Amino acid sequence: MSQATVLLRRPYRAAFLAWLVPGLGHFYQGRTGKGWLYAICILSLYLTGFLLGEGKIVYWRWVNPLNNPEKFCLYYLGQFFVGLPALPALIQGTIHYLAPDQNPLFWGFMAEPPQNVLNGLQPRLSKLVEIGTIYTTVAGLLNILAIYDAFEGPAYLDAENPGDATAIVSALSAGEAVKARGST
Amino acid sequence: MTMAPANCYWLVLPLVVAISLVYSASRHESWPRIWTHAVRLCLWILGILIGTTALLLLINTQV
Repeated sequence: MSQATVLLRRPYRAAFLAWLVPGLGHFYQGRTGKGWLYAICILSLYLTGFLLGEGKIVYWRWVNPLNNPEKFCLYYLGQFFVGLPALPALIQGTIHYLAPDQNPLFWGFMAEPPQNVLNGLQPRLSKLVEIGTIYTTVAGLLNILAIYDAFEGPAYLDAENPGDATAIVSALSAGEAVKARGST
Repeated sequence: MTMAPANCYWLVLPLVVAISLVYSASRHESWPRIWTHAVRLCLWILGILIGTTALLLLINTQV
């Protein structure tokens, strides 16, 4: 019986890299095909949504969701998981929270837009604001699946041929097998 | 950027395709299974969306 092996190199580091840039964790593990698939699907979805909302739909503000639910940026909880592409919003939001009088960095890129700009988006762009928000949020949520795949491997240990077995091997370093699962 | 309201519905296609591909890739490691699962899932989601839209349109034309 032949055995196809999925080597999960350093799962924690791979999961972090998968969060940082979608697909990067899989490139790190040598699973380049899946890396490209995740990178293309997730990043193109995020970028399309970002452009549909003219770059003003990904931002974060530090507020207590229990005291001020209307101001709470619920969508950013999903967008955050796209990683680096959504991280400037968190940085801008944190800077604004710590130093409200300071001008935002990088010409206000991903900073919370002024209220009049936000109010003007909906009448001007109509449904595109909603669609852009959904795109960027779903991109982040999909990256959670990719992060989990980098950490834990695919859900099903299927082999291309029925007689073959597939094993998931987590390794701290190349050649050091820590955990083997599903090998028959 | 402006887009006619009816054209907005086409934007659901890339969303569904991306969801199907990423979900399938997280389930399987072999490419034939990923593609097969993705196509099946894509058709399922689109079928449900089209069916639901048709039902809502039917109800809306009756009221």
